[in-house]
Amino acid sequence: MTRILDPNDKYFIDNPARVKAIQAEMQKRGIDVYLGSRIRTMSFVLDTFCPWRSYLIIPAAGQPTFFTFVVDALRVGDETWLDGDHVRAYGPMGGMDQVSAITDFIKDELGIQKGRLGYEDGISTYTAEGNLSHWEYTHFKDALPGFEWINSHDIVDALSLIKDKGTIERFRTASLIVDEGHKAARAALENGGYKGMTETVIAGIAALAMRKAGSVSEWNFAGLNEISSGFRTGLGACTPPTTKEIMAGEPLMLDFHAMFKLALGDHSHNYLIGPATKRQRWHADNFVAIIQKVIDNYRAGTTPGTLAALMMDFAEARGCGDFIQPACEHGIGLFGDEWRIGSIVNPDLPYWTDQDHVYSENEMVVCAMQYAAPEENIGFRYENDIVIVKGGCEVLSKYPLGIEEIS
Amino acid sequence: MSDLHAYLSTSWRDEALKRLQTELTPDKMNNVTTSMSNIYKNCPGGAEMFLFVECKEGKVTRVETGVGEPPQGEFRIIGNYETFAKISRAELGAQKALMTGKLKLKGNLAKALKLAAVSDRLNKVLAKIPTQY
Repeated sequence: MTRILDPNDKYFIDNPARVKAIQAEMQKRGIDVYLGSRIRTMSFVLDTFCPWRSYLIIPAAGQPTFFTFVVDALRVGDETWLDGDHVRAYGPMGGMDQVSAITDFIKDELGIQKGRLGYEDGISTYTAEGNLSHWEYTHFKDALPGFEWINSHDIVDALSLIKDKGTIERFRTASLIVDEGHKAARAALENGGYKGMTETVIAGIAALAMRKAGSVSEWNFAGLNEISSGFRTGLGACTPPTTKEIMAGEPLMLDFHAMFKLALGDHSHNYLIGPATKRQRWHADNFVAIIQKVIDNYRAGTTPGTLAALMMDFAEARGCGDFIQPACEHGIGLFGDEWRIGSIVNPDLPYWTDQDHVYSENEMVVCAMQYAAPEENIGFRYENDIVIVKGGCEVLSKYPLGIEEIS
Repeated sequence: MSDLHAYLSTSWRDEALKRLQTELTPDKMNNVTTSMSNIYKNCPGGAEMFLFVECKEGKVTRVETGVGEPPQGEFRIIGNYETFAKISRAELGAQKALMTGKLKLKGNLAKALKLAAVSDRLNKVLAKIPTQY
């Protein structure tokens, strides 16, 4: 059953308008048909979870047509706003493999035999980005000999940069769901509850609380809910939970992820499991002060480079510059859009954040900071979805900032 | 052998329509409305032939055979005459023929899969027609 879009829904996204905006940009660039392959493109246009390799064919006018692996086509058709004729499948059958199904569709159903075809290429730190592979590119191109291929991913990147009201509302809800995970974790850890508890268990306790609150996925590709304790807190910014037990006298980092209508809640909170040493407290106080400093300085008009420099200067003044990683955010959007800031391909360091990117109102980032002193077996992480506003930013997780000592 | 129908001939077509209408009730056809053309390449004599079947609300309403371009249908299945003949003689499963690329499907696969069982029922009726290939 195709989903009916309701403009009165607080989470409403005008997906047909998004398609028209893409088509307007295609027209400006003389692109006759767009072949999307990235997860972020599917999320942006279909507003549906599309985990299997999928393709979106956007013609110059009218509805796009979506192709996904046959096992998932009916579910996507049930959840998206596109009608049944525009949700298709590919599969292991003659004429229905990815290349045949899509190129036949372009030639036979859209009736386009030659022209300019936009596609999505690039490189990403995010494994599941979904750029067209060399094999796909080569074989699609062979099957569409009359086409000039134009890398056009920046069309969707630019249009998805500034978030609309419904998208921001979804992120607000996703972030409040993450807070429920943190509340449940706090309750489970305190009064000696942490004793004998492993990183995997606290990850699961938070996951259950978030699911009860409406999350559909611990969406993060780097370990779902990421947990580190003790020496592992100093190992960097990817810590899938292990069976290591949470121990007295150690730091604990909880990085929880909730997904609500494809919006990605992401908030990290840290603890010191008592008794904490003065040195541990010093590190913790440094980190909290640095976070506050950075948050206080987000606003429309500033740049990632400005914020990183400000953060490093502040850390240096506190005597902890050696422990802070020199960046303070990553990009965020609907599921699949999780890495670089901005939409322009940075010419100096392609597909990395342009440090001179100027933030605009209603742009979103994950404020993300990592503090690590591995030789002291301590580190902390902060992540929080934020919306850039004119004179500052809106921090979406409302869980109180701080590094508590609990026992 | 006089009661054998030449494959895809007008007498085979009439027999097919009669049997499909008699043996497949709308219930058995899941009350579907759809249409499908089989395109036979490399037929004896070199021609390209077709078999077109149309169902409305589960009732088989039309069977056409002929040479050249078939009527417009929701699905097209393209393959060699010999492949279709093997399927009709139950020497090759239709699914296997599709999964190995011996047959090529054109149309909405998600919809086609919903019709897989119906298509099997239809093929089984056609396979029972005394046929001269």
